[in-house]
This record gives sequence, C-alpha cells and structure tokens, in this order.
Amino acid sequence: MKKIKIDFILNGVKITDEVPANITLSEYLRDYLKLTGTKEGCSKGECGACTVIIDDKIFDSCLILIPEVDGKDITTIEGISKDDLTPLQNSLIEEGAFQCGFCASGMVMSLTNLLSKNEKPSLEEIRESISGNLCRCTGYKKIIDAVIKLTKAII
Amino acid sequence: MIKKIDISKALKLNGVVAVLTYNDIPGLNGFGIAIQDQPVLCYDKVRYIGDAVALVACETKELLDKAIDLIEVEYEPLPVVEDPLKALEKDSPKVHENGNIHLHTKIDKGDIEKGFKEADLIIENEYRTGRQEHAYLETESGFAFYDEDEDLLTIFCGGQYPFRDQIQIARVLAIDPRKIRIIDEPMGGGFGGKDEITTQIHLALLAYHTKRLVKMEIERDESIVFSWKKHPMILRYKTGVKKDGTLTSNEIYIYADTGAYASLGGPIVNLAVEHSCGPYRVPNTHIEGFCIYTNNGVSGAFRGFGVNQVTFAMESQMDEIAEKLNMDPVLLRRKNILKKGDETGIGSKIETSIGLKKILDEIEKHPLYKDREKNKIDSSEYKKYGVGIAISYQGTGLGVGLPDYGACWIEMRRDGGFNVYSGSVEIGQQMKTTLKLIALEALKISDEDKVFIITGDTSITPDCGTTTASGATYRSRRAIEIASKKMIDILKKEVNEIFNIPTDEIKIEDGIFKNLNDEKITTYEDLAEILYDKRRLPKTEGHFNFPTSKTKIPGAFGLPHYIFSFSGAIALVEVNILTGKTNLIKAVNLIDGGRVINKIGFEGQSEGGIVMGMGYALMEDVIIKNGEFLVKNFSTYLIPTSMDSPYQIETIPIESFEELGPYGSKGIGETTMVPIAPAITNAIFNATGKRIKQTPATPERVFFALHKLPEK
Repeated sequence: MKKIKIDFILNGVKITDEVPANITLSEYLRDYLKLTGTKEGCSKGECGACTVIIDDKIFDSCLILIPEVDGKDITTIEGISKDDLTPLQNSLIEEGAFQCGFCASGMVMSLTNLLSKNEKPSLEEIRESISGNLCRCTGYKKIIDAVIKLTKAII
Repeated sequence: MIKKIDISKALKLNGVVAVLTYNDIPGLNGFGIAIQDQPVLCYDKVRYIGDAVALVACETKELLDKAIDLIEVEYEPLPVVEDPLKALEKDSPKVHENGNIHLHTKIDKGDIEKGFKEADLIIENEYRTGRQEHAYLETESGFAFYDEDEDLLTIFCGGQYPFRDQIQIARVLAIDPRKIRIIDEPMGGGFGGKDEITTQIHLALLAYHTKRLVKMEIERDESIVFSWKKHPMILRYKTGVKKDGTLTSNEIYIYADTGAYASLGGPIVNLAVEHSCGPYRVPNTHIEGFCIYTNNGVSGAFRGFGVNQVTFAMESQMDEIAEKLNMDPVLLRRKNILKKGDETGIGSKIETSIGLKKILDEIEKHPLYKDREKNKIDSSEYKKYGVGIAISYQGTGLGVGLPDYGACWIEMRRDGGFNVYSGSVEIGQQMKTTLKLIALEALKISDEDKVFIITGDTSITPDCGTTTASGATYRSRRAIEIASKKMIDILKKEVNEIFNIPTDEIKIEDGIFKNLNDEKITTYEDLAEILYDKRRLPKTEGHFNFPTSKTKIPGAFGLPHYIFSFSGAIALVEVNILTGKTNLIKAVNLIDGGRVINKIGFEGQSEGGIVMGMGYALMEDVIIKNGEFLVKNFSTYLIPTSMDSPYQIETIPIESFEELGPYGSKGIGETTMVPIAPAITNAIFNATGKRIKQTPATPERVFFALHKLPEK
C-alpha cells in the first residue's frame, strides 16, 4: 500500500509520520503508536469504544482514514491529563460506573468533550452525549450519576 | 456437505505463513463443554454458517482476506433444518447422525389429571422467546506463542474457565495439558458467551504449527455469526388454578433451539425444566424439555441459563390468571410462593433461604406498584401507561453430580500483606473488587494495598471451577474464607511462640495483634519481618465444595439445585398506540442475593441486568433465515443505548441470610436480569389490555396486537 506523509497534533505533541494510506486512525493509534487505551469493538462506528476528540468534536476513530487526520488536533484517552486522573475519571471510579471497562475510554472521551463545552449539562444532555457509546455491563445510570455528582461539585 | 477443500493456491501466496485444515489436527477434532460434537475444523459437513473450515495465518491483515479468497471449498448443499418443531418430526433431515434431539427430559410430579380436575380455571398459552446475543463490547480475541525451549504453549484470551480451556486445547493438540498455559484476563464482558471455547483452540493450533506469535481478532460481524446465543424457546403452558388462586397443576412443553452443536444446551434445558413452574408450589406437574439441533447458528450459556425463557412464560401465565380471577397479582403470588421445606415444580425440596415473601412485601408497598393507577393518569388516547410485576428464582452453582468447587491459596508477604490466588476469572462483574473486600475482612485488615488478588492464570492459580452460574464469587469467597481462617490461626500460633501469649488471648484488629487488655503485641508488618528472617512466611490453602442437594431428580442430570437467589421486578412502561413502540420509564429490581458484600458491584449487576432484560423484552433478536444471519452488527442488532435505557432505576436488596454462603451471601449475576422481561410485557398488558406472547415485544408485534389490519 502506498504510504503517505501526515502531520498532526496528538495529545499536545506534534507528530510527523509516513503510514499506509488505507489504515484507520484507530489502527494507527493501537498498532503503530501502541496507544491501546482506545478500544475497537465493531470497526463500523456503531459501538463508540474508539471515540477520540478531533478539533473539539468527538469521532469514532475506526471511521477516520489516516489521511484525514492531517493538520488536525487529536486527543485520545492517554492525552486527557498529564499525570493524575481527571476529576471526571475519579468521579466515574467512585460511582463504580464501569464493570468490564471496555467502553470506558470511549465514554470518558465523550463526557470530557461534553464537559469542556458545558459545565453544567442537564440529564438529557448527559444521556445524549453518550448515546453513541454502547455499554453492556452497566445500565448507564452510574455513568450518568458520576457526571451529575461531579458537575454539582463545580457550583 | 464438504466435497473438496483446496488450499494450494492460498499456500502459494507470498506472506501466507500457514493454512491449516482438519488434516493438521493432531488429536481430537472436536470441542464442547458437555460433549465434543463441534469440529475444530470441519471435515465432512458444515452445520452452520459460523463453522470453521480452514485456519489461515498471514504476515498482514490485508493478506488474510486475499488468502481466504484463494481457498476453494466445494460444497454439496444439504437441506436446512430451521424450525425446531419440524426438526422433531421423523422424516426431518438430520443435523447430526444420531438425530435432532440432543436431550429430552421428562418429569412427572403428583397426578396431572387430578390437578386439572381440581382446577376452576385452566389457562393455556404458547410463548416464544427471541435469540439474544451477549453483545459483550470486546469481541473474542487473543494471542498465543509456543516456546520451544520450554515446550510451553501460552495463550492469552478472554475466557470464563481457563482450566477447562486448557483441557479442551490439550485434547485437540494431543499434548499434556501441563504444557499449556492460559491467561484469560482481562476481558471485555462475558455474560456466559465466553464460557465455551472461542478462539483458544484456533490460536493454539496456529501457534503450535507455526512456532510463532499468533494474533487473532474476531470482527463484530463474525462474532455475532459464530458465537453462542440465548436459546430461542417455544413454551407451551397449561396451568390449572382454583378460584381462590391456588395453583393445582402445570403441564409444560419446552422446545429449545440449540442450533448446530450442543455446547451447554442440555444443562440449559434442564435448568429451564427445573425453574419452569416459577418459585411456586404446584402440586401436580408434567414437564418435558427438548433440546433440539437445527442449522440456526449455535446457542449456549447466557446470563439466566434457560430461566429467562420459562420465567417469561410462567409470569405471563400468572398475570393472566390474576386478571381472569380478578385478583391482585401480588396476592395471587403470595398464595403460591415457595416456603422453606416446600417442593419445587420438579419435586425437589427447597431447604435453603428464601426471600420471596420479603420481595412481595416490598413490591406491595412500593409507590410504583401501590399507586399504579395514579401512574396512568398521564395516559392519553395515543400513549398508554402500565405497571407490571414479575418474580423469579435462580439456582446458584452447577447442580447435583457436577464438579463444582472453589480453591484459594494465600501467602503472607514480607511486607505483612497477602497474595490471594484464586482460579475464578474477572469477566467484567467486578469480581476482583469483591474478592478483595472478602479477603480484607477475612484477614482482618483494612489497607487495600495490603491484599493483592491474583486470578485467571493456569500456571499460578489453583483451579477454581468455572466462572458461571452466578456462583464464582460464592465459590472463591468460601475458599478465601477457609484459607484466611487457617492463615489467622497460623499467625496467632506464631505470636504465641514468639511473645509467649496463649493463642486464645490474642485478638487481631486491623492488622494489629492485641492481648485481652487491648495492648498491642505486634503487627502484621513486624511479624512478617520476623517470619521472613526465619524463612517461614506462611502459606495456606482453602478448598470448598459447592453445597448440593442430597437427592437427585431421576432422568434430569444436574438437577436439582440447592441454593437459590430470588428476585422481583416492577416496570412502568409507556406504549405508543400509533407506532407500537414501548418505552421502559421506570424499573425497580428487588434482589435476594443474601447479604450484600460489594454494594456498588451489586447495584452495577442489577442495573446492567435491568437494561439487558429490557433489551431482551423489547429489542433484541438475532434473526436467521434459511441458515443465514439477517442481523450481524450493532446497526441491525440493536442493544439499549443511554437514550433507550431508563434513568429511573432502583435496586432494593432483600437480604435473606444464607447460612451456607460466605458471610450469608448468595449469587446474583443472573437473577438480576430474569424477571425484567415478563415485568415489562405484563406492564404492556396493563397499559393496553393486549398480551405479548413473543419476545422481543417489538413495535411491530405490539402494533399488530393492538390493531387488526383490514382483510383483503
């Protein structure tokens, strides 16, 4: 496969690389950069496990072909904080929001994006923000509760 | 029928490392938990569309598709066995040479004719249930390598019982199981779907043949096609009841579609038979269960293990009886629930704790049920609201005559902490957290960093049975409790020797040894240092056999169960009369799992159970036509999203103390889901006056129950 050159920002770091033109962003993250925090559950943009933030919007990284990332600013689960977990992540842990954890990084990315734009989202806004992230272990309630608890704490 | 397999072209492709067929299997070409009727690689017949014919290993993923295309298989089409009832007919084509009935269980209790004569009302219905997919978010995947120097084959793959996977692989490769190491954590969800072999044997075969690191990932649309599903069942119920609500008789026929191979279909049908009368006293019963082979994919273990289906049928029957007798549904259930010493539908005495009365008490006083008429005030011409209830029970553990045990090793570390080794597996049910809580309590210590739980590796943990049947935590916990007690005894003895204080005058409070005057003698840390110097840091073992019934049910292997968890559910639904779409607005889960140990985990299991139960009731069905899957991914197989699931979910623990359980607890993994579907369909009846006898209650099914199309 023909290789192409890409330039983009990943988790605050400028990346320049030459990669096969036909791989997806999720493949690139997992197989080339070994950033395996991003999970892949369907490869078709249906489950949301591979959610990443690109220029302030969330995307299923399994649907992004690598040439598309050129010039973009991308954040993955590995890049949402430098050292410690974020308050959102801590709140999710305290609530016991996840069980098997496979959906967790995608959920965190969707919710991080929501909270970056809306400090006090309504219940409906929280539900909607994760409507593209499937979870089979929990009933979503504890994930939503973690956000409600956190945003109340901000007041 | 396979006429010819030609792999020569694929082998010539540059970058192809190996192409294996049945010829390359050194040992038994078969697997299956109960009987090994499923070929690892097919040789004569392909019985379902997910069967494997050849295994290909390539240098890149891209090449893989090309190589697979180059494999030529010549088939002669055989007739498709699709309808489980037709499969029972004598002249039906046979899926397996021995016929299409994998198992037929028949149980009689009392006098069924007499029972129906005593009845004032007889309710007769046929129910059908959907084919539910586990939809764990992580598909089956893993990697394996063979170390020639050590002669050791290592397989990393999510599974529910590493020691059984080890045996299944050993049979196929014809090697000593001790030469196989399975590491099966972490995994992204199981729900029963990873109890059977998934990729383990294929990984092992490829690694063994190529002597290289092999990786295998099943894609979602392959996963849905090849993997095990919840058995679709046809359930015929004839229930007799007196005017006062007393059940007199139940005649039940259960037809389960197990698909192309048995897997755990037999035990699942037996569990369905055992639980078919619900948690009620029914004096006269005739129950028959059939586990039937077809070409419809494969069915196997799934949360509920046959109990979801019969509970849907029996709780629908109870709801209809309450309606026909004009009796309160709680009162009707009260009259019939099992009490300690009563016989279940299959005639086995139930001698362990029962939380049913408390569950009904809680349902009765819950505002969602008590004020159910008020909840309907919002009903309009096009939107109807209704409240439904259901109760259920679920045997914990594998049942009589099956090896069911827990084991644990505990070793004291030099820092005064403990390593706890358990063979059970964390499959996304927070088991490690729960085991840690148990170990902390049993070892009388509160610092979480002092206890390290090690699970899911055949080389370093004891065999702890399978992580299924809501019993894994139970098994491991008992074993931890026993090993901890031994550890505490040894530590006290050491303190006695070193400090010369009688053991019965030593007590332990949070890792500190104290005398009767509450004075500190020493700590775990200091004692560990002393014992380390003497090279005698203690190790203990805990072994535990799962309690089973003393009596067996003739003709029904594994029955009865001995310890049961109980649950109840209340559901408020909104039915759109114009579209037939049903929304679950509120749900309450009442669970008797004995004492709650890990509250967050308990609620997590309950909430997940409600939403999975809602999917089962309203949305989920893998549709197969002529052997082909019409549903293969999450855009066609819909599971509940955050928008579908109710936010108003409540979990009420009903803590009946089980003396046999660790700290009085029982298993809950499955029973949290079981009553949800019938509570929802009963709520649809309450809202619309129409009974849905087939799950899922899709908008289409509800619409056609409400509206008759004009005849042509």
